[in-house]
Amino acid sequence: MIQTIRIGHLLREAAAAPYRNLVTRPTGAAVRIRIEEALAGSTCMTALLDFSGIELVDLSCADEVVAKLLLAVRTAYFVVLQGLREDHHEAIEHVLVHHRLAVAAMPPDSREPRLLGWVRADARRAFACVCDHGPLAVPNLCGVLRWPEPRGRAALNDLALHRLVRPMGELYHPLPTA
Amino acid sequence: MTRVIEVPAHFDDRSFDAFAGGFGEWPPEEKVLLDARSTQWASPYGLIGLLTAGQALAEAKREKPLLTVPTSDEVKRYWARAGFFHHAADLFELHGKVPRATTTGPSDVLLDVTPVRASEDVHSVVDKISEGASRILHGELGLEMKATLRFSMALSEACQNIVEHAGTSGWVAVQAYTFRRRLGRRVVVIAVSDGGVGFRRSLESTHAKRFGERWGDGAALEAALIQGVSRFRDPGRGQGLAFIKRFLDQWEGKISIRSGTARLSIIPPWDEDIPLSENLAYFPGAQVQIIIPAQGAEPR
Repeated sequence: MIQTIRIGHLLREAAAAPYRNLVTRPTGAAVRIRIEEALAGSTCMTALLDFSGIELVDLSCADEVVAKLLLAVRTAYFVVLQGLREDHHEAIEHVLVHHRLAVAAMPPDSREPRLLGWVRADARRAFACVCDHGPLAVPNLCGVLRWPEPRGRAALNDLALHRLVRPMGELYHPLPTA
Repeated sequence: MTRVIEVPAHFDDRSFDAFAGGFGEWPPEEKVLLDARSTQWASPYGLIGLLTAGQALAEAKREKPLLTVPTSDEVKRYWARAGFFHHAADLFELHGKVPRATTTGPSDVLLDVTPVRASEDVHSVVDKISEGASRILHGELGLEMKATLRFSMALSEACQNIVEHAGTSGWVAVQAYTFRRRLGRRVVVIAVSDGGVGFRRSLESTHAKRFGERWGDGAALEAALIQGVSRFRDPGRGQGLAFIKRFLDQWEGKISIRSGTARLSIIPPWDEDIPLSENLAYFPGAQVQIIIPAQGAEPR
């Protein structure tokens, strides 16, 4: 089950004003608190944060909303971003790299998620492979990428640690996005 | 006794040091008169520097300073159009005829002189700038479209420094003009100023020890702009100035920050400024200037 959270709606609710720009730390913190409240009251394991209609995401808000949320929910939820414009990526990527965090983002008009932030190169390749092929076990991944098993296991564990794939038994599933 | 401080004829970041020197020991004991009669031109940095002086004197509980307005009608009209007199009237006893601000003035004022007191003001500034910024940055300066959003981000982060660190309110202004003397190209200039605690005092409790005897206004500016440190222990802090610096590298832009008795600049190839100036005349708070030049044009 996926819970879609509309950031634009939360922004206007948190600021009590018709803002379209996600700027300043107090605004970002207020939006994050509302996301956390929404997640606390939900039984869904995946949160789809929808940035449609947001004009600008500044660095402070990228840090307060995305980075701090990932740090806070690391063990409980899977987070996917959608509705991001190309220029939003830059601020989010910057803060995630700073914290050594990563998140999956669904580009508009595409079913292939994009990875924003910092992961090791092997984990990035494994992520693309899981998104491309669907659920994979370590031997399947190693077969596709022609890697020795320890390398494939380390890459998938890395992705699981970053909450970028969902481990279920022997299989590592891509995050649900629809 | 009244201390008369002459506002430089060409009032910008370079002549600001002479202006700051006019105050002597801060805060001056005497009543202050800022004499702008001979001023022929002021950059956004100069205009909000004047307001910062007025505000800082008020916060130091000094007598309301006097300001004699420029003699030139053209200069006065420009200052009025930039919103300067509207705010100056609260901080100074104005002497001289002040024109009424008109909305049909120069279109290169992207953002009037605007007070920054709280994060709501930062929202307003970013909302207000977006349309004009695209016209100037993309249309006139030839920057790529996404530069507009980066520019708004830089503006947001610079203004937030006031809200988060100054301990008082401040001012911002954005303007486009031709930078004849140093560059010979069109530029957009963001100026942000406050009369608050300044970088040294803001960072002192968390970072002074590490610098030992080197600690001072210059070291504090280096820590903030070069090393990206913040007074907050939150590891996500201190990224704003680093991000601005990265953008400016791509655009051959310039950032300079003056705080207390020092000024630190990241210098692009077209400028001959000194990276770090220390032992300058003291001026309260912090003054930031960001310059973004037209891209790909040969200097005239």
